[in-house]
Amino acid sequence: VEKPSIEVLQRSVVALNPGAELDESALIRAAQNGDEDAFARLVRAYDQSVLRLAMNLLRSPEDARDVYQEAFLRVYRNLHNFRFDCSFHTWLYRIVTNLCLDQLRKRKVRKEESSVVGTPEGPLDRMDTVQQEGVEGNPQRRLFSGELRSRIKEVLEQLTPRERMVFELRHYDGLRLRNIGEVLGTTEEAAKNCLFRATQKMRAALGDFV
Amino acid sequence: MSEPDAKNKCTEVRDQLAMHLYGELSFDEEEIVETHLDTCAECRGALDRQRELHAAFDRVEVEPPPSLLRECRAALGAQLASSPASTVNEPSRDIQVNSWWDKLVRLVTGFGPSGTWLRPAGALTLFAIGFAAARFTPVMSTGSNGVGIMGLADMSAAHVRDVEPGSDGSVRIVVDETRQKVISGGLEDQQIRAMLLAAARDSTDPGVRAATVELLTAEAAAGDVRDVLIDRLRHDQNAGVRLKAMEGLKQFAKDTAVRKAFAQVLLSDGNPGVRTQAIDLLTQGAGPAVDQDLVGPFQELMMKEDNPYVRERCQSVLASWNASSEIY
Repeated sequence: VEKPSIEVLQRSVVALNPGAELDESALIRAAQNGDEDAFARLVRAYDQSVLRLAMNLLRSPEDARDVYQEAFLRVYRNLHNFRFDCSFHTWLYRIVTNLCLDQLRKRKVRKEESSVVGTPEGPLDRMDTVQQEGVEGNPQRRLFSGELRSRIKEVLEQLTPRERMVFELRHYDGLRLRNIGEVLGTTEEAAKNCLFRATQKMRAALGDFV
Repeated sequence: MSEPDAKNKCTEVRDQLAMHLYGELSFDEEEIVETHLDTCAECRGALDRQRELHAAFDRVEVEPPPSLLRECRAALGAQLASSPASTVNEPSRDIQVNSWWDKLVRLVTGFGPSGTWLRPAGALTLFAIGFAAARFTPVMSTGSNGVGIMGLADMSAAHVRDVEPGSDGSVRIVVDETRQKVISGGLEDQQIRAMLLAAARDSTDPGVRAATVELLTAEAAAGDVRDVLIDRLRHDQNAGVRLKAMEGLKQFAKDTAVRKAFAQVLLSDGNPGVRTQAIDLLTQGAGPAVDQDLVGPFQELMMKEDNPYVRERCQSVLASWNASSEIY
């Protein structure tokens, strides 16, 4: 069953509580005017989803914690610049996704630097060896629980940071591509192409498991 | 439709199945996919497999533990307390800092007013928050007399825990400090020891946990220290900390509880280095004699181990016991 998108959930909340949307704008304005309680309520309204996104993308509590801290600190420092030309959710997610993309890119660089090793036959990429082991492994061992999960994690690591981000926002956060485009500062079409590439790569790598 | 055309159509549709499940196809694309699915059983099968794949993606979703959220909120409160505000100009920054720290932590952690949120958590939480605060607050001057010599700025970063009127008209204030403070002493000092035991478990910084576990290694003969080392070996999220805990427990590899912990990490630890070390420690000094209690876990490891090096090590131990590498 497909998860409802954040927008659908937000609409449901507003439908149940017509004052909800108004309340958020009021909270933001109050926080912009220095109301500390209002700022703390804003943090509390969004921080669980921010931490979940960072944790799923980075798979490291330490890195997720750093992104959480830096994101809300930036919100605090720049809230006076927020002009309501997009939703607060989109604005906050722009900050969070930029921080996560930076982290993922740094990791990619580190991985690329360290994965190539010298051998008597010339340079060998350890990542290639890992992939071959996955394909040639004994099919019976695939039956063990956790095998598919760990393979999915590996494949997610192999996506480019942008593909990973778009997949994560669409699949786990339930954002529509239009909204993802807004968050990432690109078009809906570009986000769609990115999601298409991500899903194609994952189907190619994991198709044998299902 | 000719056979190659039909094949091309199947390929085209299968490429779109993920986007179809996400509901992200245009009206025309959706129409093509649905029309084809009505007539092609193989592609309907492919759609079912794509659904299974999506369900598998759901199973790798990580839900951050509540403790991590609490740590983040507490650390954010501390960080904001030392961060320049962007929104308002307050006449007294010290007062604002105090207010930020108190209000934000109270609001985001959901605990009650006037310090009651600190009480049930006790010393361990206070220590953890102290660590978080220390990461972000500037180092302040410290003195052995504590509050007595604190300036107004120092006081604003502290938390009043209790206030009692004295009989002579004076006031006694109990303050929970959230500023950096240096405490030194030997491992035999009960306060130092209690703080180290707490830091090994509760510090949010893996570097601090690793350093603490390494220090505690010297005291691993004591039951309370060994329990903490076993706990870190089993539960710490950082492989470096787990390896250090293992090193500390090395000399007690014959102890039943330690052996049980080694066997557990052998089968469940996600890090191949830790699993390899578990093999070494479980078999160290054992000689060629078969350890019947270990044959089962080693055979079980052979069944699920992915890492070629760990498999090879495990296989060689089983061979030295003349035991089979498989469970029948």
